[in-house]
Amino acid sequence: MKLTFVSLSLALGLVLTGPVLGAGDNVEINPPAEGSVNREDGLAAWDRIYEVASHPRCANCHTGADNRPMWSGPSYGRARKHGMNVNAGESRIGAEFVLCSTCHAYRENLHDVPHAAPQVAMNWQLAPVEAEWFGKSSEYICNQLRDPERNDGRDYLALAEHLDHDLILHWAWNPGGGREPAPYDLQSHVNDILVWGVAGYPCVND
Amino acid sequence: MEFTVNGEKREADVEYDMPLLWVLRDELGLKGTKYGCGVAQCGACTVHVDGVAVRSCQLAAGEAEGSDITTIEGLGTPETLHAVQEAWVEHQVAQCGYCQSGQIMQAAALLDQDPEPSDEVIDIVMSGNLCRCGTYPRIRAAVHTAAKKLQEA
Repeated sequence: MKLTFVSLSLALGLVLTGPVLGAGDNVEINPPAEGSVNREDGLAAWDRIYEVASHPRCANCHTGADNRPMWSGPSYGRARKHGMNVNAGESRIGAEFVLCSTCHAYRENLHDVPHAAPQVAMNWQLAPVEAEWFGKSSEYICNQLRDPERNDGRDYLALAEHLDHDLILHWAWNPGGGREPAPYDLQSHVNDILVWGVAGYPCVND
Repeated sequence: MEFTVNGEKREADVEYDMPLLWVLRDELGLKGTKYGCGVAQCGACTVHVDGVAVRSCQLAAGEAEGSDITTIEGLGTPETLHAVQEAWVEHQVAQCGYCQSGQIMQAAALLDQDPEPSDEVIDIVMSGNLCRCGTYPRIRAAVHTAAKKLQEA
């Protein structure tokens, strides 16, 4: 399957040699040349990716089939389910019960009030259930993130573009309200995704 | 900014960031919607924006501009109560009453999306609306009664 990603990218002329901005224009999507990243460097990039993916700013909304977001991390004390009995439903946006946007409203600028509902300039939601990350191991998330059946058919370039376009993801590095941001920064995380992808999506179980 | 509030065009000269709750209470004089916590943890400020329940303390006025807003003052009238308000009176739900406009607005939104909610659904949906008097059993009973009223109407 990994070969399919690479073959498709080659066929579409997507293996890039210079910086190309995605439609979001928030980061540079500038992958290393094919074959230039070895497995060791790819795994090192993955370790940094896992630090981000498993961080509460990301993992709290990458929860499983109970459709319950989490409250965890240094500013939350003990890890627990989201208060107010919140259930995002199979819609993952709360359509069956209370919409996430009832509190996590659309907002153009940072909502920097401690304990208030985080808000971004797009609709708040849980990640798809296939992308369950909360409490999962590095090996599990690594295999999920390279599996097109569970990553919405994305190759590394599409993952980078996803990070560029979806503003809800940018919030992880600028959460406001006294919340601990995800480690590194958005551009570094995108760079690591590209390095990991060019290395052939290595996981420790390979 | 222009808003449609309870069917009437209203204007307010406010900043983008002002919470809709302040617009309703302080600029437009609609005091039925209550300030509870200011951080979306209690539900007292619930109103409908384009038919959807929102916590008005969390919605920036700039994002509500042009919207159709319904507050407790516009849900029913003293002469013609909304079914949820009728049920609230019949079950004597309110104790101190502070949270009740938010409870009623959330319950009305629930019945718009689910005309016959189970106890489980009521509990999930209404859990974001806190009541320090602990009127929850009466709230649940009143939601069931309101559902029957709406189905019979």
